[in-house]
Amino acid sequence: MLSKLNKFFSSVKLAIFLFIAIAAFSMVGTFINQGDTASQYRTIFGTQTYHVLYWLGFLNIYGSWYFIGLAALLVVNIVTASVNIFPRTLKAVFGPYPSFKEMMDKKSPKAVYEVVESTKNAGETKKVLNEKFGKPFSETETELYYSKNSIFRFSPYIAHLSIIIIIIGVILNVKYGFRSYANIKVGGKTDISYLTKNRKPLNLPFTIRLDDYRTKYYKDGIPKSYTSKISIIKNHVRVATKNIRVNHPFTYDGITIYQASYGHYKPTKVIVGLLVLNLKNRKFRKAIYADVGKLYDAGIDNIKFRFITHKKPKKGEIPFFIKLNNKHIINFHVLPYKNQSTPLVFAKYDNIVFIYSGVKQVKSYYYSGVEITKNSYTSVIWVGSIILIIGLFFSFFFNHREIWVNLTNSKDGKKIQAEILAVPKKKFESFYKDFYKKTAAIKKELH
Amino acid sequence: MISANASALDGSLYFAISLLLVILSFAGYFIFLLTGNKTVSKASFVVLIAAFLIQTFAFVIRWIDAYKIGIDTPPLVDLYDSMVFFAYVIILGFILIRIFYDFDILGFIITIVAALALAFASFSPLAPSAIEPTIPALQSYWLIYHIMTLFVSYGAFGASFGLGILYLIKSGKENKNGGGNKKRGGFVSLLPPSIIIEEAIYKVVVFGLVFLTVGILIGAAWADSAWGGYWSWDPKETWSLITWLTYILFIHARFIKGWGGKKMAWIAVIGFAVVIFCYLGVDLILPGLHSYATPGSTSIL
Ligand code: HEM
Repeated sequence: MLSKLNKFFSSVKLAIFLFIAIAAFSMVGTFINQGDTASQYRTIFGTQTYHVLYWLGFLNIYGSWYFIGLAALLVVNIVTASVNIFPRTLKAVFGPYPSFKEMMDKKSPKAVYEVVESTKNAGETKKVLNEKFGKPFSETETELYYSKNSIFRFSPYIAHLSIIIIIIGVILNVKYGFRSYANIKVGGKTDISYLTKNRKPLNLPFTIRLDDYRTKYYKDGIPKSYTSKISIIKNHVRVATKNIRVNHPFTYDGITIYQASYGHYKPTKVIVGLLVLNLKNRKFRKAIYADVGKLYDAGIDNIKFRFITHKKPKKGEIPFFIKLNNKHIINFHVLPYKNQSTPLVFAKYDNIVFIYSGVKQVKSYYYSGVEITKNSYTSVIWVGSIILIIGLFFSFFFNHREIWVNLTNSKDGKKIQAEILAVPKKKFESFYKDFYKKTAAIKKELH
Repeated sequence: MISANASALDGSLYFAISLLLVILSFAGYFIFLLTGNKTVSKASFVVLIAAFLIQTFAFVIRWIDAYKIGIDTPPLVDLYDSMVFFAYVIILGFILIRIFYDFDILGFIITIVAALALAFASFSPLAPSAIEPTIPALQSYWLIYHIMTLFVSYGAFGASFGLGILYLIKSGKENKNGGGNKKRGGFVSLLPPSIIIEEAIYKVVVFGLVFLTVGILIGAAWADSAWGGYWSWDPKETWSLITWLTYILFIHARFIKGWGGKKMAWIAVIGFAVVIFCYLGVDLILPGLHSYATPGSTSIL
């Protein structure tokens, strides 16, 4: 039972399955936008499809339990496979090395075998062999074992170990770090940002103030750079100020602030300034900034009013009016005002006078979108990455070469017979070519 | 009306000329394929080297041109640049392989792939040749190392694709004739024995895989330093991971009993289809997803 489980978890077939499965699920995530809001998904797919996709986990596939499960299985697979073959590798590198006979009995399909007859004595024969194959790794009276680059048998372990290191780094990074964003308007500040994965607010350990934002352009109007001047404020004290732009972030206290986007907030409404006077006692005045159409309290005799604009104003007519208590309409009149250029525009009803004091535009402003991330343990990932590259390099370009030679006396005792056996790690034509070239040369010299 | 990208100013004229030479070289390899005439294949190789030199010249022109309009990074960013650079790398790869192996017939496939890439660059309206200023997100020296390493890997995978097809043709014929029958003339007899092609596929793939790994990791390090996260599951990134997994699968497949050269050759062929999708498909079929913007704002990446 246990050995069956072991065989399953350590098999390369499982590895192949995992590579395919991870690739396939990753693919799904590139065709369905990840991390949109529920309402966005509903408009794209419709409610029914949305529910199915949600249930399948396809809307957050890289965080789904089965995707993480596949990664976990990959780690288990790598570990069990490595543990299983490690003793064999240790033996290949440090011995005891397999004898000629053991290797012959294995009958590896990759093996090549040649027999060379030598007219020279044992010592001379060995000398010729050593010339071609290098210094023997171990030697007995009748056997020679040549082994080169055996240390590189560890290279695949290094490659596999690096994958585990990278995965550990990613887990630590996800657990202890965060990725968030915030849009800050010029002159504004924030100490809250929103997590990229679920848009939940997050309290930052300091306040970020956007002092300024600039877009620079090339001559033909294509943006060249986006720069935000930001200040970090901690306990009401400005502790740092820095320009950030794309590719040039700023790190404070382990938290990095990156320029990610920008935006322009354009208001869609206007506000009207109105001065409300009470004619009865001439005392009451009230300045109201009124949204068009909204109901306001005039503060006099319980009168409520709205400021309304004409849909299609006639020529020469003032294009707005006031509606009182949802009943009376009072129009504005123009009174040229002594020497001043702007006339007085007013509307009167009983004791109330409304004086129009102009349109006030809600200020438009630029804002800068910044990404605020805490990248813990990324160094683990980078160390793993470098080890991965080293592991791949030595796995691919350095091969362990082994040759076994068995020396026997021929029947008449006059000649020595050298049986040469080689089993390559990789079944390469160049290996066999090299082998035959060397054995042919040896044959020639020993004849 | 399709109009060619051919201007001496931005160097695209020279790429168009090199396209003609590559097609000429392809024609030579085609004749070689039918006749087995070694002189023709040698001439084709010389023509291909000429095409390569002209492309080198064109790159220098483009870089100077870009520098003149105030762009510091080399012209590698847009689709036109990347297509011609792909052709450049794959031709370079073949020239190197050809110097070490007597492998003329590979030139037949390499010239097809390179000619397609150059023709796409020269004629597709999707790939205008005019040099555009680099957007801020890409103004970084990471970019050069990132793109160079990835293109070397793409070139290698292109070559392994060609080798994979040659392997499938050759091994099919070998099986029919009962082993390496050398009596028959024609195309197939010109191919090296399948066992040699098998080794070449492995070597080219692992070379490409090392570069692919380095390229992806450089991209991750760049993203980390520039945009706040080493990995965002953006479609391009995800497809590069899928490509990587495909070739990791390739190197492990040989440890499975009974997965001989034929299956490996198929993986090399399919792997290149994945590469092409990662390289072109993501941009052309999944547009608009390649963005890191926060909601409701103008993306600048
Ligand atoms: C996902 C990342 C992985 C990477 C980067 C990786 C990398 C490598 C490399 C570079 C080699 C050497 C190949 C060669 O010499 O041609 C190798 C061999 C091997 N891998 Fe992996 N591998 C991975 C996953 C796995 C998994 C999940 C298994 C599980 C069974 C596995 C099992 C093996 C085995 C058994 C070998 C042969 C080792 C030997 O020859 O001593 N690998 N791997």
